[in-house]
Amino acid sequence: MKENIQFKLNGKSVRLSMDGERMLLWILRTDFGLTGAKYGCGEGFCGACTVLVNREAVRSCQLPVKDVKGKEVMTIEGLSKNGELHPLQKAFIKHDALQCGFCTPGMILNAYSMILKNPQSSPDEIIQGMDGNLCRCGSHIRIVQAIQTAAKEMKGMKKR
Amino acid sequence: MKNFMIAQPQSIEEAVSLLSAKKESYYLMAGGTDLIGEIKDNIVEPDVVVDLSSLPNLSSIKKEKNGVRIGALTTVAELAEDRMIKEEYPGLHQAANSLASPQLRNVGTVGGNLCQRPRCWYYRDSEVKCRKKGGSRCYAYRGRNRYHAILGGGLCYIVHPSDLAPMLIALEAEISIHSDKGEKIVPLEDFFVLPKTNVHKENVLEPGEILTEVRIPASQTGDKSTYLKLKERGTWDFAVVSAAVKGTLSKGAFQNIKIVLGGVAPVPWRMKKAEDMIKGKKAAEDLLREAAREELKEANPLEENGYKKDLVETVLYRAVLSLM
Amino acid sequence: MKKKEYLSEPEDSTLLYYEEFRDKETEEPEQIPSPEKEKFKIIGAYTPRIDGEKIVTGQAPYTHDIKLRGLLYGKILRCPHACAEIVSVDLSKAKNLPGVKAAIQLKEGRVKYAGEQVAAVAAVEEKTAEEALELIEVVYKTLPFVVTEEKAMEEGAPQVHDEPNIQKFNDYSRGDIEKGFKEADVVLERTYKTAVEIHHPAETHGSVAKWAGDRLTVWDSTQAIFGVRDTLARVLGIPASRITVIKKYMGGGFGSKLGLNDYTVVAALLAKEAKKPIKIILSRKENSLCVGNRPSSLQTIKGGVKKDGTLTALYLKNYTSGGIQRGDRCSEPIIDVYRCPHLKVEEYSVFTNTGASRPTRAPGHVQGTFALEGFLEELANEIGIDPLELRQKNYSTKNEGDTGIPYSSKGLDQCYKIGAKKIGWQRRNKNPGDGNGKIRRGLGMASQIWWGVGRPETLADIKLHQDGSVEVICGTQDIGCGTRTYMATITAETLGLLPKDVTVKIGNTMYPWCGSSGGSTTTPSVAPAVRDAALKAADYLRKLAASKLEISADTVVIADGKFFSKGDPPKSIAFKELLSELRREKVFHGEYTGRPSGYAYNTFGAHFAEVEVDTETGQIKVLKVAAVHEIGRVMNRQTAESQVIGGITQGVSTALFEQRIMDNTTGNLANPNLRDYKLATSMDIPEVEIDFVDMVDPRINNLGTKGLGEPPRIPSSAAVANAVYNALGVHVQELPMTPDKVLQALRRKEVG
Repeated sequence: MKENIQFKLNGKSVRLSMDGERMLLWILRTDFGLTGAKYGCGEGFCGACTVLVNREAVRSCQLPVKDVKGKEVMTIEGLSKNGELHPLQKAFIKHDALQCGFCTPGMILNAYSMILKNPQSSPDEIIQGMDGNLCRCGSHIRIVQAIQTAAKEMKGMKKR
Repeated sequence: MKNFMIAQPQSIEEAVSLLSAKKESYYLMAGGTDLIGEIKDNIVEPDVVVDLSSLPNLSSIKKEKNGVRIGALTTVAELAEDRMIKEEYPGLHQAANSLASPQLRNVGTVGGNLCQRPRCWYYRDSEVKCRKKGGSRCYAYRGRNRYHAILGGGLCYIVHPSDLAPMLIALEAEISIHSDKGEKIVPLEDFFVLPKTNVHKENVLEPGEILTEVRIPASQTGDKSTYLKLKERGTWDFAVVSAAVKGTLSKGAFQNIKIVLGGVAPVPWRMKKAEDMIKGKKAAEDLLREAAREELKEANPLEENGYKKDLVETVLYRAVLSLM
Repeated sequence: MKKKEYLSEPEDSTLLYYEEFRDKETEEPEQIPSPEKEKFKIIGAYTPRIDGEKIVTGQAPYTHDIKLRGLLYGKILRCPHACAEIVSVDLSKAKNLPGVKAAIQLKEGRVKYAGEQVAAVAAVEEKTAEEALELIEVVYKTLPFVVTEEKAMEEGAPQVHDEPNIQKFNDYSRGDIEKGFKEADVVLERTYKTAVEIHHPAETHGSVAKWAGDRLTVWDSTQAIFGVRDTLARVLGIPASRITVIKKYMGGGFGSKLGLNDYTVVAALLAKEAKKPIKIILSRKENSLCVGNRPSSLQTIKGGVKKDGTLTALYLKNYTSGGIQRGDRCSEPIIDVYRCPHLKVEEYSVFTNTGASRPTRAPGHVQGTFALEGFLEELANEIGIDPLELRQKNYSTKNEGDTGIPYSSKGLDQCYKIGAKKIGWQRRNKNPGDGNGKIRRGLGMASQIWWGVGRPETLADIKLHQDGSVEVICGTQDIGCGTRTYMATITAETLGLLPKDVTVKIGNTMYPWCGSSGGSTTTPSVAPAVRDAALKAADYLRKLAASKLEISADTVVIADGKFFSKGDPPKSIAFKELLSELRREKVFHGEYTGRPSGYAYNTFGAHFAEVEVDTETGQIKVLKVAAVHEIGRVMNRQTAESQVIGGITQGVSTALFEQRIMDNTTGNLANPNLRDYKLATSMDIPEVEIDFVDMVDPRINNLGTKGLGEPPRIPSSAAVANAVYNALGVHVQELPMTPDKVLQALRRKEVG
């Protein structure tokens, strides 16, 4: 069913006329050409499709685009501002928290949402909060370290 | 995947009148974390999907004099993060935090969790027409059944996958069901059905009925509750075996106690025999194990799931002792 | 285009894989360098990934992400039956669906596993392609099938191929096995079982194919761009010179993307028919069914040992199932690692109607190490000796159990020493199962061996531009290990630059040849080739600088972005300035030519694990793993550690959770998704401590470096299983060690 859907995508207002039942993941990848959110399973089990909707991490492969009407969607492409990497992005590189890199955008956004909610996340809380994002290469340890580093830096930053 | 229509009723009245009028097959959807998968995998083929997410006043947690009312559209995350629930019904807080993953909890709803379909891999295989789906046999019975039922099976051996259900039953919850005939209140314990009663569904909802609210009695001083879930991985698996316990302790013994198991039967399994053995006696590991064994006398393990009996004993005694 | 018999068996069977590494006679390399004498500043240090920024900003293009004008979407119809004869295929309804641009039949005759391709369509939208698949009418005649190893081995089981389901494929012996058993003080026999594993890379398989006239370009999620190109040429019957294969970024492969896949052929065929580019992306379910797996194993080891710990005899009988393909050779560890004069091996494939196996991160070694190392722990217990001491007692300096040729370099003894210290080996239960309480702890260890060699004739180029910019170019793959990064660091170090000054180009068959990224061969192939090119460039530039500075070439030092006189440093010329003297860009061709024959080139390692087991629930928690590896020169400490962490993680995952579950009644895969095929998550990962032995191989290549991709995967599950043995006093003997298996083992111990 075609409907007019308006929402904010990485800070910009967008409006499309489309079938509201199409999953957000494919709208982002195909219609907007933002391929940072990945297809890993299409069933909500792996987290590679994670994006933020109103600063909450969601599985975009399970979210009909009509559910983001009037909301703010952020993809990995919207995380760095003016070409400057976000502390999470810098920390992931610094700690080598990536191998093949396919899960990385989802990991970073999930971590971002988690730290926004709880800037003082303990290592255990970080581990639990990240447990829904799968990494087949096995970078979990580095990812947790990177998030801890980034959280410290984010504490000193202005709210984005 | 068959094309289907979406209906988005704006009120309960609109929803129930929609449902009663329709002759085609329709399915209710809240968060969609279960239904979307079922449709994609061709397990169900609705003509109409009734999207309940616009119904007002159904996603809140309200504390009232005689208890708490939880709207069916409350997300599991909202339930898991609610302070009052954490303080007064710690077992429910634990159950909500133990399921799925943080992201799925943001979208999944309480109502959806209670009404979700089974995770049995034969049920979820679109090429297999098992008895639940209208076929003539249960493939788990002599098949790969390490996660299937040891109690209450027969005709079908699914385990009910909800973590909230056992805990809510232990908390003596009731649910509100709306239809075009009005509202009725049903104890949650009576909501689920065994395959023997009706193999094609897991709960009493009839076409035209919508679960709208969960109500828990007010907590009393001395009330204790816990939810202990055993999983294979450290995290968001469905329960292999879980125990929901609620009781009032007095002088080292439980005056009243409700124990409900998850992961062992097609319905959340109330351990009445075990409860009777434990009531009024000093709760200790030996007694608790014996109580579990008494209940397990009627267990019928399948070829690969006999280990669940050991797990039931363990989860029961540990859950109860943790409340002391 | 004439319809060819498409490729249904993956090119790289796990047995062909081994032929690459057999002690081949290679030509003596022209110069034998002494790499162990070189000390580097950048090479070997902690260097962050130079492609990291592209990945963390979502800009890295994986095959899934390729966008082309006019792109169509391809989908494949797969046989739902475990064994069937195709009676008829009717594509007409599919072809007539609006939006469908091509529909082809792919298979005639017999299909031997659920998931085998039968037909394919291409359409303007994915949804349309899916609908079109449902309109294809296929009539099958279903046939008897068998999908589990146990059933396939039974008398009267349906035959998968035109030969019995059990086929011997490996027969090895040395010495006299009966004599060996007679010499033993203690003889023990144990059986170990491992399950079928699915690779499940994060990025599902996929290809994009585009024709421009008679030229074909393929973007493939692959570990083997040249393998794909050359096999594609053969299968399609077109010249390899007209095919280009590109792979920029890949979301994991672990062996399942080691050669041409059949859906890539399909993409090319559909693209030809539709006259438009085609993208085929496999679903997670297809990834579970039909792009490969690690074969299961059922290994019985009978071993004899003297009271002092000297091994006298080892006999391995292995039944291994790779679906319709052969199983894995699991016997290398038992043949090679420990000194043992009398040895016998028999290995059998057990065929089943399931998807063909493919090399999976250290094929055969993972399964073989689990059984061998588990057996040694149990054997050590029988004679009351420390299991680490048992390994050390039978240490070898020559391969094939000390009966073959000498190892070029071997640091396994140091791995033992360092690892034992890191885990606190003295804390282990002196007797397995010591201690009381419901929660038990234990320590276990396992040794690791793998090949460390590269592929001779690997090529790499370095291009110098007149504006001072530098390229390093190689048709290799970076599958997440940091290949790009060390190509930059080697070039930079050799030419006195910084890594950021070097532009790295990989992943295109138009670049100099490189073999597939498998077998841990990439680093020992690409690094020396790049180094060779860089040394040639340095040599040339030194001569050029010498003439400019009017000094002799052998006194020119390259460092810090300039060339200067050793005796008179102010006499210098900047790198950029020197290159501006070039008349045109200059290309230097590097090659890794090979290694001297007469030596065995292997990598070694040891993992030490500590676990906690809940004896009432059977749940295992891996607390800590100390991993020490000897891989010659470490090219980048940071990415090397990441490889080890990855290997440990995958090892924990298979030790505890992973197994493919087949149902013999339906013939279907019961767990074709990531909910029921369980991968370890962040909550399952132990604390890790990692170290590398400081050792450079003196002759394997000009950097003395060996590969690391597979080594850390090999001992990880075994060490965890042995730690559980030490905790409980009974070896679970089966992977994955799910709660039911642990409880069963405890019951076995009680009984006794």
